[in-house]
Amino acid sequence: MTEELKQTGATNAAARNSGGSVIRVKKLRKLYGDLAAVDGITFSVEPGETYGLLGPNGAGKTTTMRMLSGLSPSNSGSIEVAGINVVKDNRAVREVMGVVTQHDGLDGGLTVFQNLFLFGFLAGLSRKDSKNRANEVLEFFGLRGRSKDNTYELSGGMKRRLAIARSMMTSPKVIVMDEPSTGLDPQSRNRVWEELAVLKDAGVTVLLSTHYMEEATILCDRLSIMDNGKILDEGTPDQMIEHHAPKEVAQLRVAPAALRTVRDYLTEREITYREVGALVSVTGLNGDRPDLSGLSDVEGVRTSYRAGNLEDVFLTITGRELRDG
Amino acid sequence: MNLAIPTPGIRRRSVTGLWLRHAVSFVRYWKFVLTWVLIEPVIILVAVGFGVGKLVGTMDDGVSYAQFVTPGLIIGNAMFHALFETSWNAYNRIDNDVYETALTTPITILEITMGDILWAVTRSILTVVGTAIVAALFGWLNHWEAIGMIIPAIMVGITFGALGFLFSAVAPHTTFLTLVFTLVASPMFFFSGSFFPISILPDWVEPIAWAMPLTSAVHIGRGFALASLDITHLWAALYLIAVTAVLWPIAVFLLRRKLIS
Repeated sequence: MTEELKQTGATNAAARNSGGSVIRVKKLRKLYGDLAAVDGITFSVEPGETYGLLGPNGAGKTTTMRMLSGLSPSNSGSIEVAGINVVKDNRAVREVMGVVTQHDGLDGGLTVFQNLFLFGFLAGLSRKDSKNRANEVLEFFGLRGRSKDNTYELSGGMKRRLAIARSMMTSPKVIVMDEPSTGLDPQSRNRVWEELAVLKDAGVTVLLSTHYMEEATILCDRLSIMDNGKILDEGTPDQMIEHHAPKEVAQLRVAPAALRTVRDYLTEREITYREVGALVSVTGLNGDRPDLSGLSDVEGVRTSYRAGNLEDVFLTITGRELRDG
Repeated sequence: MNLAIPTPGIRRRSVTGLWLRHAVSFVRYWKFVLTWVLIEPVIILVAVGFGVGKLVGTMDDGVSYAQFVTPGLIIGNAMFHALFETSWNAYNRIDNDVYETALTTPITILEITMGDILWAVTRSILTVVGTAIVAALFGWLNHWEAIGMIIPAIMVGITFGALGFLFSAVAPHTTFLTLVFTLVASPMFFFSGSFFPISILPDWVEPIAWAMPLTSAVHIGRGFALASLDITHLWAALYLIAVTAVLWPIAVFLLRRKLIS
């Protein structure tokens, strides 16, 4: 199937994109009244790359994705996809780009197969091509057995995968995905990630938005940290972690009864910490492990160490938790 | 503002693609659809034609009440179909992001309204033709000119298809959509000359009745059904076209505001 995806994946997107970035966004701005939902962002995505916009809800990720797919007008700035100016010719852009919107947008009046077939037809495929392609993508996404079912009979994970499958109907070389795995159980999420990895292997360029640190780490070649409509920093996940995250983070699972003792201990020694639910995180000072030995005897406290991650990067850059939103 | 200018041109695939989607869904649920398209209008036709017709007897010009009321009921029923398609059904398509999905293909808002209105026309034709055949079997349509009722059927599909979008595109919830029937469809159905000639209404009500687009559609339908066409039917047709020319751009504007934000 990977082979087939590769072969059918050669669309005019590739033809029009004679070298250079597949997606180019410059100083893009979107206002809702006085509020700048997207506030002058600039980034570009290279051919075959998976690029992520990582940020909490309300950061402006969805608005950016909607502007890219022509579903939302921008106030200023420019967007170019596969050499096409989205602002001037958003019809042409939608011919070459696959879009997975935040909501699955499945048609409840149709079967699984009909959802794909009619989408392909609407997108410009002949009936025969659309039928064949629908069967191909159903096979690839392991949904062949469900092709005659109503979409509302599918599980959340299957719906999401069907929505992704639908964006593959025209074999686009570039796909924009708004939060591909939000709201899915871990198993379904893993499945989606596996499938996205195959698409990447087939040379498809992907721009995705996410507020899952794991998703960004696993899938993205490069990513931007986005908050309040702005891009705060950009790089590979490793670079970002190296620049902005502590090497090591101590995590204390603290029983409610022991919480006071732990707080006092850390405050006394001027160790900075943050609390997320029942978890107290302590970042190492200059890469050294903070001295938590005094807590080892306290009942109800379990200590473990983990490496710094994108969650910490976000915290360092914005001063807030990624999961606040 | 960027993108403020709607995409120019009309892409035929957008319209046929959307129409095909509706046709496929229609065929899937044909058993339910049949009750709407044929069974309900025939029930009303029989009740009014036989029941009320018995009381009323004969109208002016020697036309039986059943013959008089048949085109009115058939065209009035077509209005419900067209309105329902672009108000309730279109609202559901907005609400379930079906249009948003469609908009990820190279389709425009104008083309969405064209595809949906084309389907409203299709439904209107289906119900008019189906009910007319039954009425003809009862002997209530007895001029070959009645075939021409397909013309007001098409016009009803377009005009009321456009009108329905005015509701679906602004409705905050489905309860709002009941206004389509309480404010628009039902008053029109009863006061547009379907059941009785408008001339028997008080003088001051008559212009109001004529302003309602269904009145013109029923007038045209009756002209064909009773083979009594004259110049007034042409005026009625021009009036419907004028109303549509106003409604459709408003529908496109409102739907764009709803979907592209």
